[in-house]
Amino acid sequence: MLATIKCELKSFEDLAHSFAAKELSANRDANDRYPFGPFFDAVVAKAYEVGLLGATLPEECGGIGQGMSALCVILEHISAVDASLGGIIFTNALAQEIILAGGGKDLLSGVMGKASDAKSALIACPSCVNPSETQTMLEAVKIKDTYILNGAIEYVVLAGLSGHALVPAKIKGQEGYSFFLINLTDKGLTKGAPIFSLGLHACPAVDLTLVGIQGTLVGQEGQGGTYFDQADARMHSAVAAMQCGIMKGSFQEALAYSQERFQGGWEIINWSSLRMLLGDMAVQVKVAEMVVSEAALAVEQQGQGWELYSRAASIHLSELATKLTTDGIQVLGGNGYMKDYGQEKRFRDAKHVQAFLGLAPMRKLALVSAIVKDV
Amino acid sequence: MIKPKENRSLLNREPRFEDSFMSVQAMPKLPRIQLKETKDLISHTRRFNEEVVRPLALKTDRGSFEDPEYLPWELVKKANEWGFYTLFIPKLFGGQGYSLPSHGYVIEELSSACVGIANVAFVHYLGFMTVLASWNMPLINKICREVVEGERSGNPCIISLAITEPGAGTDVEECALVDRARVSCYAEKVKGGYVVNGSKIFISMGHVSTWHALVAYSDLKKPSENTVVLAVKTGTKGFSFGKHEDKMGQRACPASELIFEDCFIPDECVLADSRSMPRSRKRTTSELVNQIIHYVVEVTRNSVGAFGTGVARGAYEHALKFAGETMVDGKLLINHEWAQVMLAEMYKNVITGRLAYTEGQYANSLHGGIYNFLQFKPLYYYLKYAPQAMIDTFVVPLYETKLFGWLIRQIYIEGQSMEDQHRCSGWASLAKFVGSDMGVKNCQLALEMMGQTGLRHERGAEKFLRDSKLLQIYEGTNQLNRLNLFDCLIGRSVPQARVFEE
Repeated sequence: MLATIKCELKSFEDLAHSFAAKELSANRDANDRYPFGPFFDAVVAKAYEVGLLGATLPEECGGIGQGMSALCVILEHISAVDASLGGIIFTNALAQEIILAGGGKDLLSGVMGKASDAKSALIACPSCVNPSETQTMLEAVKIKDTYILNGAIEYVVLAGLSGHALVPAKIKGQEGYSFFLINLTDKGLTKGAPIFSLGLHACPAVDLTLVGIQGTLVGQEGQGGTYFDQADARMHSAVAAMQCGIMKGSFQEALAYSQERFQGGWEIINWSSLRMLLGDMAVQVKVAEMVVSEAALAVEQQGQGWELYSRAASIHLSELATKLTTDGIQVLGGNGYMKDYGQEKRFRDAKHVQAFLGLAPMRKLALVSAIVKDV
Repeated sequence: MIKPKENRSLLNREPRFEDSFMSVQAMPKLPRIQLKETKDLISHTRRFNEEVVRPLALKTDRGSFEDPEYLPWELVKKANEWGFYTLFIPKLFGGQGYSLPSHGYVIEELSSACVGIANVAFVHYLGFMTVLASWNMPLINKICREVVEGERSGNPCIISLAITEPGAGTDVEECALVDRARVSCYAEKVKGGYVVNGSKIFISMGHVSTWHALVAYSDLKKPSENTVVLAVKTGTKGFSFGKHEDKMGQRACPASELIFEDCFIPDECVLADSRSMPRSRKRTTSELVNQIIHYVVEVTRNSVGAFGTGVARGAYEHALKFAGETMVDGKLLINHEWAQVMLAEMYKNVITGRLAYTEGQYANSLHGGIYNFLQFKPLYYYLKYAPQAMIDTFVVPLYETKLFGWLIRQIYIEGQSMEDQHRCSGWASLAKFVGSDMGVKNCQLALEMMGQTGLRHERGAEKFLRDSKLLQIYEGTNQLNRLNLFDCLIGRSVPQARVFEE
């Protein structure tokens, strides 16, 4: 829908759509077997080559300098086929956005400039948490002009494969927290095994233990929460776009199946209770398209209370996607529960994507806080 | 006071008293000792959970991803050692003879730890109920005695039900639909038995079962009047296993493909045959077939309600533990008011699921329900306290007699009115979709509360969600069960209502 409102997005839509069809569709099930099967390195490398990993990154940092709507178009089309790559694009973009919020263009240019391949260009971050909500935090100590980080941090998405990670840490003796960029090849850093998770199997996370790791401060000390909130407000639209894609994928597979599968003498689409289920799904998909489109444009136009649209979009579409993908399996009955079809993966992925950016109920409370502040 | 005639008339108005209040009608008739039995069974299951299920649940699940060929032989052996496969087989057939309604509570306990392993222990009773509902006493006895011997010898012998086909799933569970279904499992009558060709899919525990209650059709054009239920033993010539499915969850319990190629089943292994059923005063042939299917699902859909309730409970318990030990926004999650409300909602979902399956079980204890006869107090206490040898000597030989067959027929086939069938079947459907919906709902709420911690396999919460979804599908999708509830208990008050005739 975004591409019909903003014609210049058509090329991104075509790119993401054809990429998903060519590179993701055929091996969806095999790619989802990670960590018990191989990682889809070649797909990530191609995504990097065609620019999918730097949509909102400014051109001077090595990206393609587009707005949120381009990222949303990409995420929607990719996630309709395989949300794992969507999760990779999202996590990397979140890390970039936080660094940009902290004024770290040079830092990003440095990372991208030195990157020789997709993996070294990726920046990991704990994208399923809002650091200010949790108690676990790394500790940073300032020694002259450098910061030394120690401690353990859980569930750092992409850290098993990327070159760098953006991590929150508390500077000893200070309130709040700060973000630091760390090099994941440094000595003193231990990575756990890839975490086997509910969904997004090919967008893996690992736990990290840091002993005397040097970190580069992003922006100013103690301002991590501010940078996160700025990036978070924008990136909620991206969560909404992923959910919209997953919903579309689930609806399309359900619709196709319902026209082929016979029960009780005719195609199941002719049973009105099943058609009603499809009707609910169709409504939800259309609403999702509208919501993503408005949220992405609100982020770009930065009008009064723009972030409320973005936050509301992700909360609402995560709830809708959870419901829709449950029905998406139901339409296929037993087949929907099997890995031969894509529905069970979408069911897991939608619930997994809901966990991005922190606890879902806390995000709802944060929305009210934002409204009250706005008033 | 109200006169008896008026009283009857008032109570027969919709919602009819006897279809609405199950427990209050059933409880006065129940043997008192069932309370103690139920408590003992729950304790036994809690110990099994501690010693077997919890240590193996996540390990087994993860292992099944590492090795897609995994089959739960070890778990079957454990369940066998702990007596789960004979617990609810009546002593009439050599089992332990615990009261059948108690099995719901046991299922809930097991499922609160792992619903996949709960299926490893209890899918067997889906097979058993199908064997039982044939009322073919000699064959029921033969198969059950093998189960009992399997427990004694340590070589498990369990039973599966094979009904779903590649082209037919929901519609094979309803006689109103089956004539329009694309069934293909063909049983051709030959001298001395049947020759079966075709395949069955999604058969829970197929690969690890010894006996299979196979539903096949002797005329594919009119299956409702040409249904045969055959007892097929693993190893029979012409019977083989195909693949087992790669499922999202419940991976401890395989879903198997069963293949029949010119597989000869002798007459003595025919559990039920619609073409040779004695005529009934109350039912047509297809209604008799439907009665068999419904006798099974009247029990097993309650069981799925109990599976769902157990899952709802397991998810709730995970969320509660997490909330009690996790700081969010500077204080323990459990001290956030919203979290308390959410936990209360989850607690309510558990209770709602339990109430539904419990009422469903009580419906089966009332007149015309499958538990009713066995819960008749004198019979219950006789079976409980009479030595097994006495039952085997004096009762079992009667199974071969015509008189005994006639008696069983009067009790179970003629003795169940259509109203009784509708009550039991309607409640079972309701229990099934309430329990399974509550299960899925609580898993979703738990994951919302636990955030990234809930996503991790080793924390167990995400497995509950994956496991829970199947409950809304098997034993008839929740959509079919809603329709069955309408058919059994709602549509009757509107004479022009028609079901499955869209």
